[in-house]
Amino acid sequence: MATIGSYTLLAAFIVCAYAIAVSVAGARRRSLQLVESGVGAFYSVTALMTLASAIIVYAFVTEDYSIRYVDRYSDSVQPLFYKLTSYWGGLDGSIMFWVFLLSVFGAIAVKTNRESQRELIPYVVAVVGAVQLFFLFVMIVHNDPFATYLTEAPVDGRGLNPLLQNPYMAIHPPSLYIGFVGMTIPFAFGMAALITGYLDDSWLRAVRRWTMFAWLFLSLGLTLGMIWAYEELGWGGFWGWDPVENAGALPWFTATAFLHSVMVQERRSMLRIWNVTLVILTFFLTIFGTFMTRSGVVQSVHAFGEDPQLTLLFSIFMVVILTFSFGWLIYRLPLLRARNDLESWASREAAFLLNNWVLLFSAFFILFATMFPTISEAVTGQRITVGPPFFNTWMVPIGLVLLMLTGIGPLLAWRKSTLSNLVYQFAWPVGLAIVTAFGLLAIGFRVWVSGLCFALCAFVVGTISQEFIRGAVVRRGATGTDMLTGLIGLVMRSRRRYGGYIVHVGIVLMFLGFAGSGYKLETQVMMNPGDEVELGQFTVQYERVSETDDGQKQMITGHMTILKDGQSAGELFPARWFFRKHETEPTTEVAIRRSVSEDLYITLATYDLSNQTAAFQITVNPLVNWIWFGFAIMALGTGIALLPESRLAFIAAKVPEGAATTSVLLVSLFLTGLGTTVHAQIAVPNGAELTAEQKQLEAELQEELVCVCGSCSHLQLSTCTCSTAADMRLRLNQQVSLGRDRDGVYQHFIDTYGSQEPIGAPIGAFNQLSWLFPMLVGGACLAGVGFVALRWSRRGSEFQESEASLPAAGNDVQLEARLDDELRNLD
Amino acid sequence: MPSQGLKILLTTAVLVTAFVGLMWTTMQDGTQYYKHVDEVMVDPDQWVGKRLQVHGYASNISWKPSTLDYRFDIEKDGYVVHAEYTGIVPDTFQDASEVVVSGRLEGQKLVVDPGGIMAKCPSKYEPKPEIDAASAGDAEGPNNSGGANN
Repeated sequence: MATIGSYTLLAAFIVCAYAIAVSVAGARRRSLQLVESGVGAFYSVTALMTLASAIIVYAFVTEDYSIRYVDRYSDSVQPLFYKLTSYWGGLDGSIMFWVFLLSVFGAIAVKTNRESQRELIPYVVAVVGAVQLFFLFVMIVHNDPFATYLTEAPVDGRGLNPLLQNPYMAIHPPSLYIGFVGMTIPFAFGMAALITGYLDDSWLRAVRRWTMFAWLFLSLGLTLGMIWAYEELGWGGFWGWDPVENAGALPWFTATAFLHSVMVQERRSMLRIWNVTLVILTFFLTIFGTFMTRSGVVQSVHAFGEDPQLTLLFSIFMVVILTFSFGWLIYRLPLLRARNDLESWASREAAFLLNNWVLLFSAFFILFATMFPTISEAVTGQRITVGPPFFNTWMVPIGLVLLMLTGIGPLLAWRKSTLSNLVYQFAWPVGLAIVTAFGLLAIGFRVWVSGLCFALCAFVVGTISQEFIRGAVVRRGATGTDMLTGLIGLVMRSRRRYGGYIVHVGIVLMFLGFAGSGYKLETQVMMNPGDEVELGQFTVQYERVSETDDGQKQMITGHMTILKDGQSAGELFPARWFFRKHETEPTTEVAIRRSVSEDLYITLATYDLSNQTAAFQITVNPLVNWIWFGFAIMALGTGIALLPESRLAFIAAKVPEGAATTSVLLVSLFLTGLGTTVHAQIAVPNGAELTAEQKQLEAELQEELVCVCGSCSHLQLSTCTCSTAADMRLRLNQQVSLGRDRDGVYQHFIDTYGSQEPIGAPIGAFNQLSWLFPMLVGGACLAGVGFVALRWSRRGSEFQESEASLPAAGNDVQLEARLDDELRNLD
Repeated sequence: MPSQGLKILLTTAVLVTAFVGLMWTTMQDGTQYYKHVDEVMVDPDQWVGKRLQVHGYASNISWKPSTLDYRFDIEKDGYVVHAEYTGIVPDTFQDASEVVVSGRLEGQKLVVDPGGIMAKCPSKYEPKPEIDAASAGDAEGPNNSGGANN
């Protein structure tokens, strides 16, 4: 199997080289046949990489430990889900996953743009192919994921580190990879435009969505990384300016700049050099970030290997990228001159330009500060490090400037804003910001950075709400519908613009969360049973520390009672788990009491079971959950902006009056109903103390009961490491501690999980049907909604004529004209 | 009326000066020398009072019962620096673990900053060395107390 995998990679390398050579030759000779052959070979690389991926996944699933990579990153007790995610769990596999993703993305990009971008496609194939070729080369000569042991294969694997056996950690790397790899497509189109000289706006149209898509996944990857650090590492924070985190953030800044800057080129044919440069830099930074975290060139709290050969390969590749891309950029400078000049600094294009500078500066500042130890060592011979306070000193004001620009940009007119226009646009947002600032001062907020951030958040919210309300009023006047229907119609008609505003709302919420950290409270205490600590509104009482074992790991659990403002606020159970194969690497199981306003966050540090003393880190993190909520809103906005224009046009067609309002009300009712069935997470202890008999029963039941998570092939509770299994083990522990016998526990699990699935019984036909039922209902509902939407769109076209004859009911004719003008240009 | 070139030159000069000035002033507080134990302890007097990040391997970790006071050594290539710390230590801070410790040298002793112990985290790019698996059996489990030896 390993041999087939290695040969598949070799075949992919050869076919990829052929695709590059033939595509370039075809483009230069203007031979359609050669270009077609190149594209065909390019698709074949996708097929070969899919095969290679299937082989490595198969090796993980079948536990083929003769392959070194499989041995290093999985073992027999690892749940199926983590066996699958081990594919990208190590360096060799992550490189292969990179090439696989790139081959898929490349094939989709070529397929979808083959007709519209005929001139560019051969070079797109060549550029994407060249990147694939580099990574395939790295795999073949240095990091072969199919390398086998020369001696006898181990009986069992070494297993993935427990810290990485976490759902966030399983999704976080592929999200980042999708973001990183996705940025290759805009780069390829940009380079193809430079090489061919077709530098009009058509290449931008081809890459706009790709950049948005990659940016969304990059943001998702960064957010998941933050959540993982917050919930799993137990230090109370979510971002520590570590080189690994910084590597992911670098291309995010330049990609964000590009997404804004591209609008200026589309609208005003300006910033054309900027856009090509940003595309190149974004791609370069994805490679540089990868290099930084794999080569050992920077010191990190993460134990990265120092690999001189890999460092050399990446260095050569980066030099080639910079030389090749900026060489072409300089050569094509005459074709990239702006067709318009900046008419006024009080214009939207000026705000975008400033935005570009600030974002670019952010990327380079982070790059500089991350590399500073290496640079200082090279220059002075002394390795000097800079820590989080240095990053924060710079990035906090930069972040506030960016937040301010988020609010200013939409308020400015293209070309030039007149004084009266500025007053008209800025009055409400600035007023809201001032009221917020004084309100905060009046209620005693004294952290000025956070206060300023809150005021700026109010300013941006003022801007966005003003845009939505004015737009909806105009649309209501034009279509004769109600306000809500007008608002939805407005968003659906100009998805990119209003989707962008929703993204800005998400950014505001995230900044609220960041600002909350200014009010963070933290303490570290050694406690005896009965001791209590006060922190903010909370009183934390320590009761005891217990030791339990679920067969897979030993769990040390602290039992804490929480009071808020003197009232009981539940219990928390911070713990440390010692997994059997990784006893020297205990994991911290943070206990968090979540709320909209703040998290109470407790970690168990040290303990002594004999005298029951234990040390805890207790943190109050205000507003932290707004960061995660903000990302969800950001993703929603990006999703709206990404919706295809033509295929979903029927949704944006004129809808009957009140239809949207009714739909929203129905959805609200549905969600309200749903809300009543959702229970708040109940804190359950990590294990009660059991008698010897109860322990025996618990161990037996852990062998008999199976996990119901659906992703681990119903592994026994004693072997599954997923969070569902952990909950089930705790439940089992509780039931046994209550004195229930085997049948009682069985019945409890059947009552809890609604079927006989947890006790390992085969799923009967009725149960299968009962699983299928909600899906059938959901499918029927979707079909119904689609049918109604189609009917509406047809009625909309029937009424087009009568709609056209309707007089404009809006009061602001100028605003309506401006809005329509902008919608036309931006869509 | 100054020429366009002069305007650009002056703007650039002002921006660069402001940037370098800000960078210099903010770096005064935020920087530390990153040194391996052997580099520091070959001539400790040179480093007394300076802000340091010392890289080495933890050993002889001791913990005063019912407190958060730790004493330990950091070793590398035969050189040792004694360290004192009060606070919570990372999960992976154990004897023989690779650590980077922030603090100031006072005489022959490193006084560690609050939260100044960074133990190297596991990375998915760095497989667990086989030697660890072999020595895992010898390692102290969570039998009675966690965090350190008494």
